Amino acid sequence: MKRPGPLLTLLAGLLLGLFMLTLNATTGTKTASSSYQEKSPSPAPTKTTASPSPSPSASPSPSQSPSKISDASYAGRTDDDSSSVAVSVRDGRAIAYFCDGHSKESWLKGRVNPDGSMRLTGGHGAVLNGTLQDNSRIRGAVDLDGGHYAFTARRAVKGSGLYRATATVRGAKVDGGWIVLADGRQVGIVDRDGKPSAAPRIDPETGAVTVDGQQLTASPVVP
Amino acid sequence: MTVDPNAATQSWPSPEPNHRRPHPARYLVPVLVAAAVAVALGVYGRVHQPTGTAFDLAGFSSTRAVKSWLASTAFFFALVQLVSALMMYGRLPGPRWAPAVHRWSGRIAFLVAVPVAVHCLYALGYQTYETRVLWHSILGCFFFGVFSAKMLLLRSERLPGWLLPIVGGLVFAVLTLVWLTSAFWFFRTFGVTT
Repeated sequence: MKRPGPLLTLLAGLLLGLFMLTLNATTGTKTASSSYQEKSPSPAPTKTTASPSPSPSASPSPSQSPSKISDASYAGRTDDDSSSVAVSVRDGRAIAYFCDGHSKESWLKGRVNPDGSMRLTGGHGAVLNGTLQDNSRIRGAVDLDGGHYAFTARRAVKGSGLYRATATVRGAKVDGGWIVLADGRQVGIVDRDGKPSAAPRIDPETGAVTVDGQQLTASPVVP
Repeated sequence: MTVDPNAATQSWPSPEPNHRRPHPARYLVPVLVAAAVAVALGVYGRVHQPTGTAFDLAGFSSTRAVKSWLASTAFFFALVQLVSALMMYGRLPGPRWAPAVHRWSGRIAFLVAVPVAVHCLYALGYQTYETRVLWHSILGCFFFGVFSAKMLLLRSERLPGWLLPIVGGLVFAVLTLVWLTSAFWFFRTFGVTT
């Protein structure tokens, strides 16, 4: 008399949902570091600035002219001087890091439009809207955890920029991000199994850093 | 997830065949379950600290691409739902097995949508920072509530004839909006990528 089908459907959905949730809770963090290391379609970084010749990168949209956007890193402070923002641009794609040096951080990524505007998104609903101006600075804002942080990031010079190190130290997954400004100031956060805390300083020359007694090497981040 | 959306169905009242008019609980229970499911999902998405990451499928460039394709699959089966429902109600010529198509396309659509919702709630949470995101959050929770109500209503007999088409149409409309504010937006913004 009563059809069990609809209830079974609901039950199946519930079980599937709980199963996926368990799967996420146990293995979810595994892809955290790898998801930012997508293979770049271009074989080598092009160092051309405003070159009229088409870039060899295999951009999915032919109307895009990646040669206008040069590959570079940008680093700067938020207007309220609470946090640093760094953006690394390559082949029309960008990865950015927002970090206050204590607990607030976000990795964001996305595309850079031919006009230099970009909208990068990260976990926790974080969004970075910015515009690359004259290939020399990025002006924009990061929306994170309900806060709005306007920032200006200038083109990074030697030693400054965005660095990341991931490793397993004594069983704990360690994921560190650093922003080094042109004047040598740096902020960083190290995540130990997802718990953020202030990071020890890195040597901007070599990227060497000691986390929990273990020597790690932070490398410049490219999208 | 601490709230069991199916819990309320255990206290399902026994039908009274001698009554001509359906007992109010016929409507009340599905409505309450729907509200409970929608609110529970929303509260979970709001309270749970979003992780930003979750499972990934091989062969796709990003989790968002995976989700967009899964959601589009669900939307495709939702279109099948609409057509097969019109067949069942005689608005379109259809084969005798149209009801079976309706049942199974619905199950597939629902089961395909569940992982997407789990990822949304687990990794991203209930967000309000943008109009599109706000509506997606609200409607996403609403969808699973309405769907639960539809499933529970199917078990009732002697319902007014217009009720199931209305609720079914609502499920379809909400899923369409949820798809438009997520997968469609993703494909338009980032291109149709895998």
